[in-house]
Amino acid sequence: MGTRFHLILPDLDDDTAEFVFIKVQNEVNRIESKISRFLPDSEISLLNRTAFSKPVCVSTEVYEALKVCHHYFDLTQGAFNISIRPLLQFWANNTNNSEHLSDPADLLNKLNKKCINFDDANQTISFDNEHVEIDLGGFGKGYALGKIDTILDDYSIENAFISFGESSILTRGCQPGGDYWKIGVKDYKNPNQALHTFSINEGSVSTSSNFFVGDDGKLRNHRHVINPFTGYPVEDIITLSVSAESPVTAEILSTAFLVLPENEVRSITKNMKNVTAVKVNYSTGNYEAAIL
Amino acid sequence: MSTMKRIDRRKFLEITSSIAGTSVLAASMPWLSVFSESGLAPKGPSDRVRIGIIGVGSRGRALLLNLQTLTERLNFEIVAVCDNYVPHYERAIKLTNGKAEGFLDYRDMLKMDNLDGVVIATPLFEHAKQTIDALKAGINVYCEKAMARHLHDVKQMYDTQLETGKILMIGHQKQFNPIYIQGIEQIHNGNIGPLVMLKSGWHRNRDWIFYEVPGGRGSALDRQRNWRLYDEYSAGMISELGSHDFQAANWIMDSQPVSVMGTGSINFFHDGREVYDNFALIFNYPGDISMTYDCTTANKFNGQFFQVLGNEGTFDFQNNKVYSEEPPSPPAIRSMIHNIERNIFETIPIGGATWLPDAPVKYGGNYITEDYKMNDTQLALEAFVEYIRVGKVPDKLLKTCYQASIWTLLALEATKTGTVQTLPKEYII
Repeated sequence: MGTRFHLILPDLDDDTAEFVFIKVQNEVNRIESKISRFLPDSEISLLNRTAFSKPVCVSTEVYEALKVCHHYFDLTQGAFNISIRPLLQFWANNTNNSEHLSDPADLLNKLNKKCINFDDANQTISFDNEHVEIDLGGFGKGYALGKIDTILDDYSIENAFISFGESSILTRGCQPGGDYWKIGVKDYKNPNQALHTFSINEGSVSTSSNFFVGDDGKLRNHRHVINPFTGYPVEDIITLSVSAESPVTAEILSTAFLVLPENEVRSITKNMKNVTAVKVNYSTGNYEAAIL
Repeated sequence: MSTMKRIDRRKFLEITSSIAGTSVLAASMPWLSVFSESGLAPKGPSDRVRIGIIGVGSRGRALLLNLQTLTERLNFEIVAVCDNYVPHYERAIKLTNGKAEGFLDYRDMLKMDNLDGVVIATPLFEHAKQTIDALKAGINVYCEKAMARHLHDVKQMYDTQLETGKILMIGHQKQFNPIYIQGIEQIHNGNIGPLVMLKSGWHRNRDWIFYEVPGGRGSALDRQRNWRLYDEYSAGMISELGSHDFQAANWIMDSQPVSVMGTGSINFFHDGREVYDNFALIFNYPGDISMTYDCTTANKFNGQFFQVLGNEGTFDFQNNKVYSEEPPSPPAIRSMIHNIERNIFETIPIGGATWLPDAPVKYGGNYITEDYKMNDTQLALEAFVEYIRVGKVPDKLLKTCYQASIWTLLALEATKTGTVQTLPKEYII
C-alpha cells in the first residue's frame, strides 16, 4: 500500500496478537497483489495495459470493487474518479513555467466521465479510450481496512485501532480508559493540537490532503491532487477528514470532498447516515475546522 | 593519524567477549580472539618484548606515542628508532628520553640482538624491502598500510611471511575499531537484510602538503618529504586514504571484489604533484553488489563517509549510526500506545501526509556502539605485541590486508588505463 501500517490490539496477549497480525498481513498483501498499479502482475495493471483494446475478464472481487468506485462516481457527481491519473502525469511532465504548459482540456474531456465499461454477464471490463488508467489509491486502504475488520470479527477482537499511514484509520470497540476512541484532526501548524475530535466506536476516519510539511515547518502544496472537473491541481492547502461506519466510504469521500465545494459536500452528507466531514483550509488567514 | 582518545579497554574487552563465542567472531574477525585469550602480560624482564620503529615522521611519531602508553601494561619496550631524515631521527630519540638506540639505516637496526618486532611507518615504496628484510631476519613486523607500491612487492611480502612464519600485520586499524566490529557483526547476522550497495568516500579541502620545503615541488627534498605527491613513491590518496575503506569493504562483504573501474585526474592542485587530487572508483563484488568510492582534496562538503546499504537498513559507520528502512512509529502512534498503556483517555491529533517527497532519511537513527572512547591504533598495536607473545596470528588478518593492498593498486591501474581491472591469476592466494 506504499505506507506504514499499525495495528494496535490493546487487550491481547503477545502470541495471539502475533497470530492475528500475520493473518492481517497476509490479507493486506493479497489485496495489494490484486489492485496495486505498481505490481505488474496485478489485475489492475493488466487492465491498464489491455482494457482499451479488448474487454478483460477480472476476478469477482476486483469487478465488485470497481463497481463500488463506479457507484461513488455517481454519488459524488464525478468528484471521485479513479481514472484521472493521466492528468497527474500530464502535470508531472510539464514544468511550472506556464509558457511550456499546454491545456489539459483535451485529456480531461476523455477522462471526466464514466469511461470504464462493465459487462456483468461476462464479468469483463473495458475502457473507453487509450488514455484511461485506473488508480485505486483513493480506495485501496479503505477496502483493506474493511477486510481487516472482518478478520478481527472472526477472532472476536473487541477493541482495536488500525492505521494506514495515519491517514486511513479504523477503530473497533473503545479506547482503554474511555467509552469510545478519540481521533483528533491534526492542526498541521500546531502538530500537538487537534482542530476537531471524532468520537468513534465502530467506524473509520480517513483524511486526505494535498500538501506536505517542509523542513522549515511550512505547508507546501505537492500538487498531486487533481480536480477532476477542471483538470488542474487543487491550489488551496486543505485537509479533508471524513468519519463513517464503513472505511471504504470514509476513504472515498475524503478523496472526493477535497475537490467539491462545501455546499455540495453538505448536500451529500445530509443524506448519509453517520457520515461527518471536516475540512480545514490552511490557505485562509484564520483557518479552522469546518464541519460539513 | 588517529586522534588520541582515552582507551577504555574494559569496554573493548566486553565487546569482544560478547561475540567471542559466536560464529561471527570465528568467521569474520578471528584476530580479536587474542584479546580474550591473553591474560595479563608476564612481568619478568626476560618476558619483555623488544620493539623497534622504522620511520618516525608524522605517522611514525603517532605510533611511537601510542606504543609508549602501553609499554608498562604490556611489558614491552621501545629499544630502537630509525629514520634517514636526521631531524626525525633526533626527535624520536628525544621522545624516548634517550632510552631507544637511534639508527639512520634500518638494516643496521635489524642486526640488533633480541629484537622481537618492528613497526614500519616509512613511505609506501619502502615498505616491501624493509618488511621482507625484517621477516627474513626473524623479526615480526607491523607495517603501515598499504602494503607496497607495486603488485609484485605485495605478493612478495605475503609469500615471505608464509616462508618465515613470522607475524606480519598491516596497519588497517579499522579491524580493531569497536564501531566496525559491532556493525559488521550485525551486518553478518543479517540485521539490515541482504546488502545492495556500499557507498564511501573521503572529501577534504586541503593541499595535502605535509611539509613546505626549500625548492618546492619537484625538488629532491620535496620528493623525500612530500613523497605522497609523487607517483614513484606513492599511489596517492587511493592508497593513503582509500585503502582503509577497501579493506573494510572486503571485510563486510567477506570477499574481495570481482572487478574495479575508475577515473582520476588533477583538476585543482596544478602545483607539480604527480598523483591525483580527485578520483572516483566503482568496485563490483560477487552478487552484483557495487561499492563506490570517491575522493577529492579540493572540497570538504561531504567529508568522510562509509555507508553499507541493505534492503532493510543502512549502516553509517563514520557517524556510528544505523538506520532502519522502517523508521520508528510516528509521534501520533507512539502517543496512542503511551496513552493506552496508562489508561489515559485523550484526543490524539493524527493525520499523515498522503504523499511525501522521496527525500533522504532524516530520522536520528540508532548508535552502533555507545561510549566510543577507544583508540583503534592503540588496540591494533596492543594486538601486535600480544601476537608476538603468543607467537601466532590468524591467517585471515593478513589475507584481508593483502587483498586490500592488491585491489588498491588495481584501482590505481583502472584509473590510469581506463580499463576494468580484474585479479590477475598470479595474485590469487
